[in-house]
Amino acid sequence: MSDALFRNEPVSSTPYVADGVSISLAAPLKRYSLRARTADALETVLNAKVPQKIGATEGGIACLGPDEWLLRTPADTAMPTGAGLPVAITDISERSICLVLEGPRAAELLMTGCPLDLDNFAVGRATRTIYETVEIIIIREGEDRFHVEVWRSFAAWLWTAFTAAASH
Amino acid sequence: MILIHCPYCDEKRPEIEFANAGQAHVARPLDPSSQSDEEWEAYLFIRANPRGRHHERWRHVHGCGRFFNAVRDTVTDKFETTYKAGEPRR
Repeated sequence: MSDALFRNEPVSSTPYVADGVSISLAAPLKRYSLRARTADALETVLNAKVPQKIGATEGGIACLGPDEWLLRTPADTAMPTGAGLPVAITDISERSICLVLEGPRAAELLMTGCPLDLDNFAVGRATRTIYETVEIIIIREGEDRFHVEVWRSFAAWLWTAFTAAASH
Repeated sequence: MILIHCPYCDEKRPEIEFANAGQAHVARPLDPSSQSDEEWEAYLFIRANPRGRHHERWRHVHGCGRFFNAVRDTVTDKFETTYKAGEPRR
């Protein structure tokens, strides 16, 4: 855990609180990119249920595409390597950080730059999309709670855009 | 903003998630060395530029990441239909 003390995050670790919405940095997570032709192949390797439908999430695994899944788990989770099997399990933990948007205006805040129809975006859904020009992954954790995964190099800009939009 | 139906996600998504990838159904010759220079030039560079109905490849790059085919009207910019890669021409 000592490396957690030396983490250098691209955004403030102090949450930004505005009227009706707060923006904060999530605790460090382990992230894995899971690639396989079928969900069944992954289920065998991971010994866990893997969602079949694009956009669905199950137990921390989000289905992003027909052959692509994103697994987010707390740190210190052991992962099988899938060696010799027709799957690819890649550690991408440090590629992105997660911003948590919480509050009754969380969806409205996302809508300032994301043209997705969030009114019809059910709790538990996840998708890759775009905010202004920045690629993000949205995970709806609750009615008023979103996780936004963003690449580290884009995070500072996204933080500024979110806080600016939230302050209006 | 145009909404484009992604055949993999099976829903309409905003156009900025997509990227155009040129004309669809351009098949690479199975035996390139048997091609004359003119045939190879035609395969590499010569594309249809119709006024109206056009078959195009699109990629849901900021979504599921998949390439698919679409029929778009180049005059009205309306998408007639989209279908998965590998499916027959519509």
